[in-house]
Amino acid sequence: MKFKKVILVLTDPSDQHIDESAIQLCKRFKSKLFVLFIIETSRISRLARLTHKKSETLRKKIEDEGWQSLYLIEDAADKTGVWTSLHLEDGIATTIVKKYIDAYSIDALLVKRKDETKKLFVSSTVPVIGL
Amino acid sequence: MVLKISEVLKPEAIIMKIKSREKIAVLKELVAHMVANEFVEDGEEFQKALAKRENLESTGIGDGIAIPHARTDAVKNLVLAFARSEEGVEFSAIDGKPSYLIFLIASPVDKKSEYIMALAKLSRLLRKQVVRRLLKDADSPDEILNIIKKNEE
Repeated sequence: MKFKKVILVLTDPSDQHIDESAIQLCKRFKSKLFVLFIIETSRISRLARLTHKKSETLRKKIEDEGWQSLYLIEDAADKTGVWTSLHLEDGIATTIVKKYIDAYSIDALLVKRKDETKKLFVSSTVPVIGL
Repeated sequence: MVLKISEVLKPEAIIMKIKSREKIAVLKELVAHMVANEFVEDGEEFQKALAKRENLESTGIGDGIAIPHARTDAVKNLVLAFARSEEGVEFSAIDGKPSYLIFLIASPVDKKSEYIMALAKLSRLLRKQVVRRLLKDADSPDEILNIIKKNEE
């Protein structure tokens, strides 16, 4: 099986500990690594309700942490010689992931295995690897 | 520590109209400008670090923006430079479009968190369409800095 291009999908800054597995996988398969951080609209609304904070304040914080996660992954990938491309989007995860799979001819999807990512396993048109 | 892009970027590190039109030549011009203004000590090493990074990933992030960056001991502190291109420069951006606004970031190897924070702040700032438009239209380095100051939070 060949994975020329894989996409690592993150929806939470705390997901970043899975980056090492993703980088190692890309190194092994000589894959290009697209890293996509999605700011999920529904997650912001849920957090705003729970914390009584403004949605916009939470969104800014998550975006800042999202970019930091992306650049930390890039920095780690750089050491192993893995090619990376960083992306950050707002919206619904399944829709955005589908758009990326189609636009960049992605061969496999890497996600953190947790309840919220079930929808990505179900809806993906390419193999999904849970890390 | 609250890092402000408008405080790290100095007016002397801004090139309003870069002459070069090819990626490596643009990086060379920016590095030479940084060396001439004493932001960088070892221009050759700095250039090498940037070129190595460019070979590994596209620093053209789309929407007419490129953020070449590297961690290297060719610099003593976190440094930022900005250059504007009228014709656009091919930075292998993921959207296939040329880059008109080029921000260069470098930090010493041991200043990783500061470096990551600066990249994150800049990326967030440049996602705003209005900021990109204002930066394209600005007339002077001071105006560039004011735009950044007003729009960074």
